[in-house]
Amino acid sequence: MAQPLVKKDDDRDDEADYSPFLGIEKGAVLQEARVFNDPQLDPRRCSQVITKLLYLLNQGETFTKVEATEVFFAVTKLFQSKDIGLRRMVYVMIKELSPSADEVIIVTSSLMKDMTSKTDMYRANAIRVLCRITDGTLLTQIERYLKQAIVDKNPVVASAALVSGIHLLQTNPEIVKRWSNEVQEAVQSRAALVQFHALALLHQIRQNDRLAVNKLVSSLTKGSVRSPLAQCLLIRYTSQVIRESANIQAGDRPFYDFLEGCLRHKAEMVIFEAARAITELNGVTSRELTPAITVLQLFLSSSKPVLRFAAVRTLNKVAMTHPMAVTNCNIDMESLISDQNRSIATLAITTLLKTGNESSVDRLMKQITNFMSDIADEFKIVVVEAIRSLCLKFPLKHKSLMNFLSNILREEGGFEYKKAIVDSIVILIRDIPEAKETGLLHLCEFIEDCEFTYLSTQILHFLGIEGPKTSDPNKYIRYIYNRVHLENATVRAAAVSTLAKFGAMVDTLKPRIFVLLRRCLFDNDDEVRDRATLYLNTLGGDGTVVQTSDDVKEFLFGSLDIPLVNLENSLKNYEPSEESFDINSVPREVKAQPLAEKKAPGKKPTGLGAPPAGPPSTVDAYEKLLSSIPEFANFGKLFKSSAPAELTEAETEYAVNVVKHIFDGHVVFQYNCTNTIPEQLLENVTVIVDASEAEEFAEVASKPLRSLPYDSPGQTFVAFEKPEGIPAVGKFSNMLRFIVKEVDPSTGEAEDDGVEDEYQLEELEVVAADYMLKVGVSNFRNAWESMGADCERVDEYGLGPRESLAEAVNAVIDLLGMQPCEGTEVVPNNSRSHTCLLSGVYIGNIKVLVRLQFGLDGPKDVAMKLAVRSEDEAVSDAIHEIVASG
Amino acid sequence: MLLAILVSNSAGNILLERFNGIPSEERLHWRTFMVKLGADNLKGARNEELFVASQKSVYIVYTVLGGVCIYIVGKDEYDELALTEVMFVITSSIKDACGKSPSERLFLEKYGKICLCLDEIVWQGILENTEKERIRRLIGLKPPNPTEI
Repeated sequence: MAQPLVKKDDDRDDEADYSPFLGIEKGAVLQEARVFNDPQLDPRRCSQVITKLLYLLNQGETFTKVEATEVFFAVTKLFQSKDIGLRRMVYVMIKELSPSADEVIIVTSSLMKDMTSKTDMYRANAIRVLCRITDGTLLTQIERYLKQAIVDKNPVVASAALVSGIHLLQTNPEIVKRWSNEVQEAVQSRAALVQFHALALLHQIRQNDRLAVNKLVSSLTKGSVRSPLAQCLLIRYTSQVIRESANIQAGDRPFYDFLEGCLRHKAEMVIFEAARAITELNGVTSRELTPAITVLQLFLSSSKPVLRFAAVRTLNKVAMTHPMAVTNCNIDMESLISDQNRSIATLAITTLLKTGNESSVDRLMKQITNFMSDIADEFKIVVVEAIRSLCLKFPLKHKSLMNFLSNILREEGGFEYKKAIVDSIVILIRDIPEAKETGLLHLCEFIEDCEFTYLSTQILHFLGIEGPKTSDPNKYIRYIYNRVHLENATVRAAAVSTLAKFGAMVDTLKPRIFVLLRRCLFDNDDEVRDRATLYLNTLGGDGTVVQTSDDVKEFLFGSLDIPLVNLENSLKNYEPSEESFDINSVPREVKAQPLAEKKAPGKKPTGLGAPPAGPPSTVDAYEKLLSSIPEFANFGKLFKSSAPAELTEAETEYAVNVVKHIFDGHVVFQYNCTNTIPEQLLENVTVIVDASEAEEFAEVASKPLRSLPYDSPGQTFVAFEKPEGIPAVGKFSNMLRFIVKEVDPSTGEAEDDGVEDEYQLEELEVVAADYMLKVGVSNFRNAWESMGADCERVDEYGLGPRESLAEAVNAVIDLLGMQPCEGTEVVPNNSRSHTCLLSGVYIGNIKVLVRLQFGLDGPKDVAMKLAVRSEDEAVSDAIHEIVASG
Repeated sequence: MLLAILVSNSAGNILLERFNGIPSEERLHWRTFMVKLGADNLKGARNEELFVASQKSVYIVYTVLGGVCIYIVGKDEYDELALTEVMFVITSSIKDACGKSPSERLFLEKYGKICLCLDEIVWQGILENTEKERIRRLIGLKPPNPTEI
């Protein structure tokens, strides 16, 4: 039985564990709710029972449909009572119960009565309840009252109707949109909250009408907005208008003065909102940024943690795009490293790491060391990532940064944190050659005491790749061999492979490695023994100092150039028989999905997850694949393979994409096909190519795909001959032709007889960019000067009206298919001119450098000066030819 | 949108929770997250001292008020500063309803009144009223003073 509510008793005020709801139980409270049905209602008792029901609901308790209905019907009886306190509770209770559509009818008339009541507060509450439980039909009935309520002189009634409108806009937008005149009137209200709610609703109603929002902002920024909340909304809407406004010109940005004026508002909320809006302006200039940064800097030393947090969070974002603008705040930011709030401290540190200069690195690291011990792993990971970026920015500081990473690697921490550190060290080793040897030793020390099998095996693998290439590979052996004694079987097996790699790569170490490997033959784990046996037998088992042949190295340590998923599928489908499994039968084509992911723009550096010497580049894989096909074997060296281009829509019966392989005198189209219908088996799959719009190409070979079962990708090829060394272009239309056989889904067996069928594919094009390899140069200026002006060709072009300068730059880069250098592909906003540097290798292995100078000629017309330097003047001319005809 | 308002006692037991737009299967996660946040940071905190955190795209502002801890979660327009406003309204209304910073028991005794206050302050995730005087009158179904408008 539930305890009755106890009246306040000061004597027991300090009994912390005493609760008026002690032992409360749903069933008992539902029983108590029967008092709602009493003919003589006791308002006080009823209020107490409602409180208990609310307590249950607020504790996450749920009522069954029957229970909820029962309580709802009982609560509706309470409308008979005239007690004001009880009526207020009834309103809350009905909202909490959210009755179903068929129950709502019971209470509608009482609420409608309240809604037209003379008592303002009944009206306001009835509106809120009705809007909560209403559906479209009921809404049309009460719409008239709601429209009146919006302009009611009582602000509570008006606010209730406006907030209802905000909610109803989600479910019944067409009805709420009819209220814009009333809402517009409410925006002019003298009551601050009414104005706030009206502004929010009006913007939501008109958010897709750019002109209307512009008008709203224009009129309100001139007038007075009464509450800071509404002012914040106005700032947000203003930034939206600025973002969408077309004629952004530095210096006369619309509404900037309004935003800047808000920085002097008396409410901190408004100041901050305006500062943030300014920092987020597209192409914001330093002059525009300065006042905003100044107020944010003041907030950094505020006594209020929320203000400090907001300021440092915003400055952290600014530091990503305008690090120099934030440097003035560095001193204030440094004092935040010791802030009690760890979120603030972490944000301060990561900002400092972005804005700091080379000379401040050591001081910063000292401060961070003290700070790291008392923050959670998730914050530590953020700091580690920031340090990694800093190290890549200031490679000369690698010693102290690497030391820091190795120190924190020795401290306590979870897997994700440790992985972040190890990944960072790996990236630094890879990108900063001087950091390699110390980095590897840090990793060696880490695996001496590493509790994570995954990290140990990954590090061992990495050591196997990088260790043998160092000046003294000898020193890593001890760490690796210790693993064979001290670790679990997975790590031991990885250690055996790493040892073998050292043996294969460093001939002088081989005899000693053999001694160690022989000891592994007595390991109690099969895999470890098997690996040791394999390596001993293949590397030249007598242990003398001999060179291991490249074939053996390739066999043992070469990467498996087939996707593991495909290998897994093929192995699953393989039935044990006389015929051994042939690895060449495994399809090499990866499915479209992973490729799309690969193309995703996120260029976050990866650590151990994707070691560089791991899988071979796509070109290598393609080269192997093509050279294994006799028809193409005499085409010579593969110059370039394009990225796969889809020839079918997504989610069609057959998914086909094409890769263009460019040889000196040939072009091979590789059609990657996937059959997505489980009930079909396709056989003898070919692509019929019509090259009538590609005059210089003549078909020379076609390699059909014997069988294309469901969900197992396969390839068919068509090869064309073209004039040697000439960048011939043309359009090709494609038709997939095959024999389709029905498959019995229960047995998976295909019928014997099939039907010939065809499937239209999209066209493909060979363009000039296909004859250009994207090869970057590290220092364009040096490369340009050393190339010399002998084969330079310069000319000017008018590109006509363009959407923007950036669009024109990208179009030319795409046309030429060259590698943009030094980040020059990015065009700053508002620029009227831009220089873009490109480099590449043209077919015939001719290096090409291009300097493009763009300028806006009139409002939209773009003019371009193209300077080409290459090792062959014919190639320089060819580049001009591509641009002239593109 | 104000995604959640949670009130717990100092031991982390939930006294009151109101979620808006958070599916029921995710509520446990939020509950646990916030109680842990409180356990990590609120020990020894001054009365009404504000704490702030952010998790992905949402903001959390939390505080201690007498014997209870209050957590508010918001996203989009309800960022850390807007949540501070909401927190101010909530704490002042609770103090108003209880007559002082409440002990856990006092909070539970005034539970009904506090529910009404919250109902006036936040309606399905949108801030509705911000003045404690006005809220006090509204929960008694009295119109606000004309001077407060």
